[in-house]
Order: sequence, then C-alpha cells, then structure tokens
Amino acid sequence: MGTVAVSAEEFAAVPPEVVFDRFGGGTGAGWLFDAACDRIAVGAVVTLRVPLGGAGPVDVLGRISALRRPTSLTVSHDQPWRGRIRLRFTPAPGGTRIRLHAEIDERGLEWLMRRQGLPVRPGAAAGPRIGLLTSKSGPGSLFAAATENVATLALEEINGDGGVAGRPVELLVADDATDPATGAVEALRLVRSGCSTVFTMTTSATYDAVSAALGDSGALVVQSHMNEGGGESRLRIRLGERPARQLAAAATPLMRAAGGRRWFLAGNDYVWPREVNAAARAVLPAVGAELVGERYAPLGTEDFAPIVETIAASGADVVLNSFVGADSAAFERQCHAMGLRDRALSLGPALDEVTLERVGAPAATGIHGVSGYFQQLDTEGNGTLLQRYRATFGPWAPPLSTLTESVFEAIHMWAAAARRARTTDPGPVADAMRVGRYEFPRGTVTLDGTDLVQQQLYLAEARGTSFAALCPADVAG
Amino acid sequence: MSSDSDTSGRAERRDLAFDALADPVRREILAVLAEEDECSAGALAERITSVGRTAVSTHLRVLRVAGLVTERRAGRFRYYAVDPTGSAAEVMTLLQGLFQQSLHDVRATVENRPPASGRTDTDRTDGAAEAG
Repeated sequence: MGTVAVSAEEFAAVPPEVVFDRFGGGTGAGWLFDAACDRIAVGAVVTLRVPLGGAGPVDVLGRISALRRPTSLTVSHDQPWRGRIRLRFTPAPGGTRIRLHAEIDERGLEWLMRRQGLPVRPGAAAGPRIGLLTSKSGPGSLFAAATENVATLALEEINGDGGVAGRPVELLVADDATDPATGAVEALRLVRSGCSTVFTMTTSATYDAVSAALGDSGALVVQSHMNEGGGESRLRIRLGERPARQLAAAATPLMRAAGGRRWFLAGNDYVWPREVNAAARAVLPAVGAELVGERYAPLGTEDFAPIVETIAASGADVVLNSFVGADSAAFERQCHAMGLRDRALSLGPALDEVTLERVGAPAATGIHGVSGYFQQLDTEGNGTLLQRYRATFGPWAPPLSTLTESVFEAIHMWAAAARRARTTDPGPVADAMRVGRYEFPRGTVTLDGTDLVQQQLYLAEARGTSFAALCPADVAG
Repeated sequence: MSSDSDTSGRAERRDLAFDALADPVRREILAVLAEEDECSAGALAERITSVGRTAVSTHLRVLRVAGLVTERRAGRFRYYAVDPTGSAAEVMTLLQGLFQQSLHDVRATVENRPPASGRTDTDRTDGAAEAG
C-alpha cells in the first residue's frame, strides 16, 4: 500500500528543550502539542484532538513510539488511519528549528476525503466483496481501534488459502463516526459498492440503524461482538456475549471480592447499556445483590462528576460500568480521581484492553471484565493470532479485545460458510454460518442454528493497563 | 521552512476547494459523479433537479477550477468525471495546513509564555483527566 508524506516546519526563539517539553504539557500550544498523555515515555498512549472542522474535532489515537529528549519524538497512531508523526527539534541560531514529518496511507487519504465531503470511487471488483462498518472517529474509535487490522489479517489468511470461489475476497471499510445515521448511510454505500455482507463493529445503536436501512437490500448484516440481541432474522446475525450470561458469571465472584452486595448501574444512554441494566435488574437480585442506583449519560460525555458523586453517595460496593469507548475511559479516570476506587470495584462488560490503556494504570486498579476473550488468553490459536498481528502491525498497534477479535472470527466464519454453501449469496451463507463448531483464538465456539453463541466466559482483573488473573466463569445460562 | 508564496498558494487552493464544497448543489453533483465513471453535462442536469441547467453548468465550472472534477470535450458535448488526484491533493493540503498551524501555535506559546522549567517523566494522571 502506498504511503504519502506531509511536512511542516517552524522556527521558535527558545532552546530545543523548551519546545520539546511543551509536548503533552497542556492547553494552548496547538492541537499537536496539546496531546493528552499521562507520561512522556516510549509506549505511552497519546490522544491528539485534530481540529478537522466540519463535524467537529477528530481524535488521533496512538502512542509514543520513539523518543530522544530534546531532539526527536515520534507518535505512531492507528485511528483514524495508520501512520506516524515524527517531530525533530534541532538547534538553530537563536532558537530551535521544528520539523514535522507525517505519513498517511491510501486508506487514510480515502477516510479524509470522505470526511471532507470529497468523492471517492471504489475500483472495479476482482472478487467477492465484504464490508466492514466500524468507528474510526467519535468515542467508539477507541474500542474499535484494532478492528481494521484484524479484518485485514483474516482476509490475508482467507485469500492465502485460495479465497472464495477461486477468487480473492476484497474488504471495503467504512466509518460510522459513532453515529447511527452516518452508519446507515455508509452501510448503504458499502452495499451499493458490491458488498453482499456487512460486518458491524460499532455500537448497537448503529447496528440497529444499519439493520433497518438495509431492510430490503438483500444484504447480510453480521454483528460479531457482544450485544443485547433482538431482531435476529435469516439475514441478521448477532453473535457475541449477551449481558445476562456475563452478569450471571461475574456477579457472585465480584461481590465476594468487593465484600458487599450493593450495585450501582451506570452507562451511556443507548440500547446496549439500557439492556445491560435491564439484564442486571433481572439477574442480580436473584443472587443476593441490592441495586442502589441507575444513571445514564449521552455518548460523548466528558464530565462524569455528577454521576460519580451520586455513586459515592449511594454507598455502592460494585459499579456496573456500561459506558463505552472514550466515555468509559473518562468515567473510570474520574472515579479514581474522586476517590471512588477505595470504596467500590468496577465491572465493565465492554471495558476492553484498548480502553483500559486509556484509563491508565493508577485508575485501573479494581476494574474487572467478563467476556469470552482477553488478549492474555493462553490458547494455541490466540498465540498464533497475536504473533501474526504483531508481525504485521508492529509493537505499537492497539491490543486485541473480545470486541475486535470477534471480527477476525466472524470473517473466517463467513468464508468457511461461503465455501460450504458454494456461493456468496447472503441467504445460503447466513444459513451455513448459523450452524457449526469452530476452533478460534478464544477457544471452541459452537452455534446451533440460533444466534446464541456457546463459548467459555472468563472473569479478569486489571493489572496495570492489561487484564490478568483470567478465571473461567460459570458457563451455565 | 515553507516560503511565504508556497504557503499562500496552498492556502488559496484550499480556500477554493472549501468554497467549492460549501454549496449543497456542488456536493450533490460530486455525489452523482462519484457513482458514475463519467457523466455528460446534459445527463448531470437531469439528475440534479434542485436547480436549472445553467446553474449546473456554473457549478461545474467552479468544481473544475477547484481541481475537483475533470472536463472532457467531444464534439459539442462535455463530459465530467471526478478528479481523484484533485481530491487527494486537497486533503494533503488540508493536513499540511493543520500541522503547520499547530507548529505555529507551539511557537507562539513558547516564545510568549515559556514554561518555568522542563518537565520530567512524572505521572500526570490527574492533570490529563482534567484536560479531558
């Protein structure tokens, strides 16, 4: 894939050290130097809020990949495209020459063109096309960060294995901008561009909008990751963990660890968090839990202080966090900053490895996750996947999680189904996908014709900025 | 460092493309062209029903000057197509402008209000949380 470069240069009448130390140092020094990061160190995660105009700023998510104070600093980023921004500071008479070198690949250019309203035409199809609708901007770009990478890996494996019907499968990617209406428009575009199946790695709110918008298109829509279920039909497949089972598996061990039974339910205001909490009201009291409060905030919220205060006042022992993406990270950081960590544990069914990195190690203590996959999972398939992932995308690519790894699995399921059905027609492919037993990185996954995936769930606890202490959780239910 | 004329040339081109995209009819024309390989002026005018033929021609001229569409003449017909290099150049110019502005901002900050001391590798969790 071709990469193009953009350069910029400036002079400042202060020594290199002074310029260098402005990076990540707070507001007022331009969007690039206003980087949000906890540490200036190699590997530290960084968010750059780019004033792209139009629909508002866009977060560039990456990490510091090289550093030499006061000479150079490199940010490698994955959202909204994969690239690097290199900064060099050289002494010049009377000050410092600042040089910037940034890379953008074809997919990045295409994303930028679409966002600016510029037309982009897909080339002629060389084989079957599948669509991936994911979040490359908005709060969901955090949990979706590894999606395109794992989809690309799955495609490489499928095409390395002869493709489907003797032809290479092509992946088209679209960005819902964490907005259901945008997602619906982009999903229609994918279908018009020849994708007979669309995989969604977005919020369930976008899934619902896409499912409705593609109502009479004849396309198959697959939501591979955890969701609340509902609306399944022949051409609507919803895999992934369901809240009732996750909660049933996690509730008792969490209350034992917390030494208390009072739960507070808090999440973003859309269908998945609402259904997680509906499941909580159904599941938790039966195992002896007491529900002491419930609050919602719209996606894109940055100030959670009122909710955290309410939680603190409720005397909760466990917080069920169903915020997602950037909201979830901000919520947990503010819980920590406001002293809630000393009093309550947190269970985040969708708080994945990427989000945990943004929560940061100090605020991560006490956070628990429950799902069918964690990056630390010790299976042979996961070892192979991680090895290939790192070999292809390097050490700075975002960690995998149950959300993104499910996309890898679902695309493989689709290819296996298309080969079995000897067609890429959505109906027969969907029928073939619904029945089977698969060996995946997360372990054995069984489908019995319904959309309820049988898989082992694990309860995990944050250690630093990754999940560890994986414990198989009860499979019942 | 970019020369002044270079910078202003880029800025001018960017402004042209921004102006070109600001109009809903021109965005509609681009959307139609994005779906077709090439489209005659007449066929375009039939697809764009919100304004008349003359207005469509005017909009096409703006898009052509901004480098967003190409024009091909065959006899008395004119055919239009999306200029992919124009779009790519446009977003590269946009990116360059954003980076340049950011470096300009850091210059303004360090020259006017230099920080009291160099920061070390200490943890800044709380400060970053405030910054959001």
